[in-house]
Amino acid sequence: MTYAIEMQGVTKRFGPLTANSNVAFSVGTGEIHALVGENGAGKTTLMNVLFGLHQPDEGTIRINGETVVMDSPRTAIARGLGMVHQHFKLVPSLTVAENIFLGMEITRNGLIDHKAQSAKVRELSEAFGLHVDPDRRVSELSVGIEQRVEILKVLARGASIVILDEPTAVLTPQESRDLFRILRGFTQKGMTVVFISHHLSEVMEVSDMVTVLRDGKVVGTKATKALSEDELVRMMVGRDVNFARRARRRSEGSPVLTLREICARDDRGLPTLRDISFEVRSGEIVGIVGVDGNGQTELAEVISGLRRPSFGEIVLAGQSVQAADPLTIREAGLAHVPGDRLRRGVDASASIASNILMGRQHKAPFAARGLIRWPYVREQAGKLIRQFDIRASGHKAVVKTLSGGNMQKVVLAREFSQQTPFLLVDQPTRGVDIGAMEGIHDEIMRQRASGAAILLISVQLDEILTLADRILVMFAGRIAGELDPEKTTEDEIGFLMAGRAAAEAKAAS
Amino acid sequence: MTTSADETRAKTRGLAAARLPAWTEGLLGQLLAIGLSLAGGAVIILLIGENPLHVFGTLLRGAFGSSERIAGSLLQATPIIICGVAACIALRGGLFNIGVEGQLYVGGFAAAWVGFSFSLPPVIHLLVAMAAAVVAGGLWVLIPAFFRARYGTNEVVSTILGNYVAVLFTSYLTISVFKRPGGWSETDPIAITARLPQLVEYSRLNAGLFIGIVLAVGLQLFLKHTGAGYSMSAMGSNLKFAEYGGVRIRRNIFLILMVSGAVGGLAGGVETLGVHHRFMEGFAPGFGFDGVIAALLANGSPIGMIGTALFFGALRAGSLLMEVETNASREIITVIQAFIILCVSAQILVRRRTGQRGERRWRF
Repeated sequence: MTYAIEMQGVTKRFGPLTANSNVAFSVGTGEIHALVGENGAGKTTLMNVLFGLHQPDEGTIRINGETVVMDSPRTAIARGLGMVHQHFKLVPSLTVAENIFLGMEITRNGLIDHKAQSAKVRELSEAFGLHVDPDRRVSELSVGIEQRVEILKVLARGASIVILDEPTAVLTPQESRDLFRILRGFTQKGMTVVFISHHLSEVMEVSDMVTVLRDGKVVGTKATKALSEDELVRMMVGRDVNFARRARRRSEGSPVLTLREICARDDRGLPTLRDISFEVRSGEIVGIVGVDGNGQTELAEVISGLRRPSFGEIVLAGQSVQAADPLTIREAGLAHVPGDRLRRGVDASASIASNILMGRQHKAPFAARGLIRWPYVREQAGKLIRQFDIRASGHKAVVKTLSGGNMQKVVLAREFSQQTPFLLVDQPTRGVDIGAMEGIHDEIMRQRASGAAILLISVQLDEILTLADRILVMFAGRIAGELDPEKTTEDEIGFLMAGRAAAEAKAAS
Repeated sequence: MTTSADETRAKTRGLAAARLPAWTEGLLGQLLAIGLSLAGGAVIILLIGENPLHVFGTLLRGAFGSSERIAGSLLQATPIIICGVAACIALRGGLFNIGVEGQLYVGGFAAAWVGFSFSLPPVIHLLVAMAAAVVAGGLWVLIPAFFRARYGTNEVVSTILGNYVAVLFTSYLTISVFKRPGGWSETDPIAITARLPQLVEYSRLNAGLFIGIVLAVGLQLFLKHTGAGYSMSAMGSNLKFAEYGGVRIRRNIFLILMVSGAVGGLAGGVETLGVHHRFMEGFAPGFGFDGVIAALLANGSPIGMIGTALFFGALRAGSLLMEVETNASREIITVIQAFIILCVSAQILVRRRTGQRGERRWRF
């Protein structure tokens, strides 16, 4: 068997911290190899070493049998490596083709030959089944298509070994399936794929081989077929993880949040929420599922006051809030874990203490007579760091230095510690590793036990099935149906998510 | 076992990240920008056939050569510091008030008008004149502030446009309405009761310097220690986060721009009440813009801005002697400042990039 990648004895230290310790990582030509591990296990560092972004302190790298000193990404690209980063690096105002050829434009008489570029992109796009229109502006594309543009960038630079860093973190289930189809197409053409993930079901579905990293060391490399999902989890976290459904019941509590006939428009002025009515009672978790983009984001915005509904009524803890601003709604009793954690949930350049303060900067005991009581804030931050098991050096740690899971815990710590009657929790575990996911789920259950009314929005079906007492399925801005998680099946939910029930009802009427 | 390993890892990570405090990085950046700009200026000086060392030496001597000259540098720095505070207020709130120059002009005129039109008891006259400057500066930014807060109109454009109107309008008032008979294009002098006290005998350096320093330090403390200051800096570093956290964005945008404009007006008042004792056409050329650049170079930090404003003040003061003793014209200072603007914009880009890379670097 020939190897596309052979990394041996790779050690990478950052000051006193060893991110990779004597790592051996080999990938056979033409296989899809998953690199898995919790956040902080060293996956990204290892790939950065492979791609020449970091220099290893020890160890050798061989590409297609030849020893290579990866001194820069340029060397890596010249050797046929291509990396698709988790955060896309595209210029929104340029077209797909312009983005792909940025820095290596095809020119004719000194001018950019747009036709040739478009033709080349179309050719690549056809050959790999990517279906991307080269002349569309990137700003008009969905996240899934943006990712394909990133993949095309790599292909246009002649890559035969493609590395993807958590490619599915931003994708809907459908987009993920399309991605996997594309990746399999790569291997049929003799190319090699490495992908970093912590969605185990995906790893099981798409990969040929799995390498598990934990604390910077390789736990093992195995054929996917020889592994079960449980074994994989054990390898990743070093212990068993409990994913059983939690105890649940119909809540007899009083309604804390009531929506009546809520309608809203999106940024372009198109109707995005249509006639939404439901209530959330104290002590229950209502789960909202749906394919991303069916109005869940707007629903969260409307409830939290970030978007005005065009019609309808919202009552939160006895107060009418459909026309209120975020501050008023928070004071009425909302805590909100936003779906877009980096853009909304934190000030990434500020410390944990400063992030914990948000929303309470005018309130006793965090402030007195307009002045912030920093000693108290720091003390609270320290407490929350311990209570929520946030892995950080202390309250001074800058939030952007934390991993995704720990960043999310900062948001949860701030919001859950306000002891509000209602919690709006949007995508609590997106991009979060399994260990942290368990902790976050436990925390949500604790809030439920203490009587909070919780609205949980998630694109992850298993999360909703694990936590929710009632499930509402959203499709095209409507509630397509309410389901009892005890009695429903994934098929039934999928049926509603795809909007088929609604379509059939329409046909029948 | 795993947890303790994770804890030590988290600790060491924190240590590694904290090795260089953020402010040293900022200071290094500033020094680099200033150094590169001086080098750029040196090349221009060589091109006009002068010796850069001689020119810079004269510049230094002109700025710091004697106590009179040091006072001169501080005198020039005073309006830059106050304008810098105005610019910092907007910057830290995520806004850009480039109309400080215009606010300075209307503030200066309003203060002078109160100074020469009314007779009031000593301290009260001064306070009323300064209040007039503050109100005028605020009013001047009222329209841009309202439209920015209500409709999201770009405040950079609207505040810049205000500058031209302010300069020409005060010039019209001076020449056509309030011109001193027989004088240059200037108004009557203000009453002695409205003058800001001088600090030393041999220079027009006045209490305005302390006003500037107190404002800058006050702003720093406000940002760090008050709830309102926290809300304001949150808007500056992540507007969506602030909005989500319950900060009243529109109201605050309006308030921030109004206060920024008011401080810009005060800078003009200090200049007429402390230095010229009347309003003259072109009485304070470019101080508003210098203040904006000083604030940008200090990355919005009020304390850092005092340093950069002093640097600009020294450049201005030193350039007077430089022009007398060498063939280099005063415009060389403008060239150096232009280089600084280039460096600062480049730096902002670089910081963004390294910021992204830094994020990757520490994410294992």
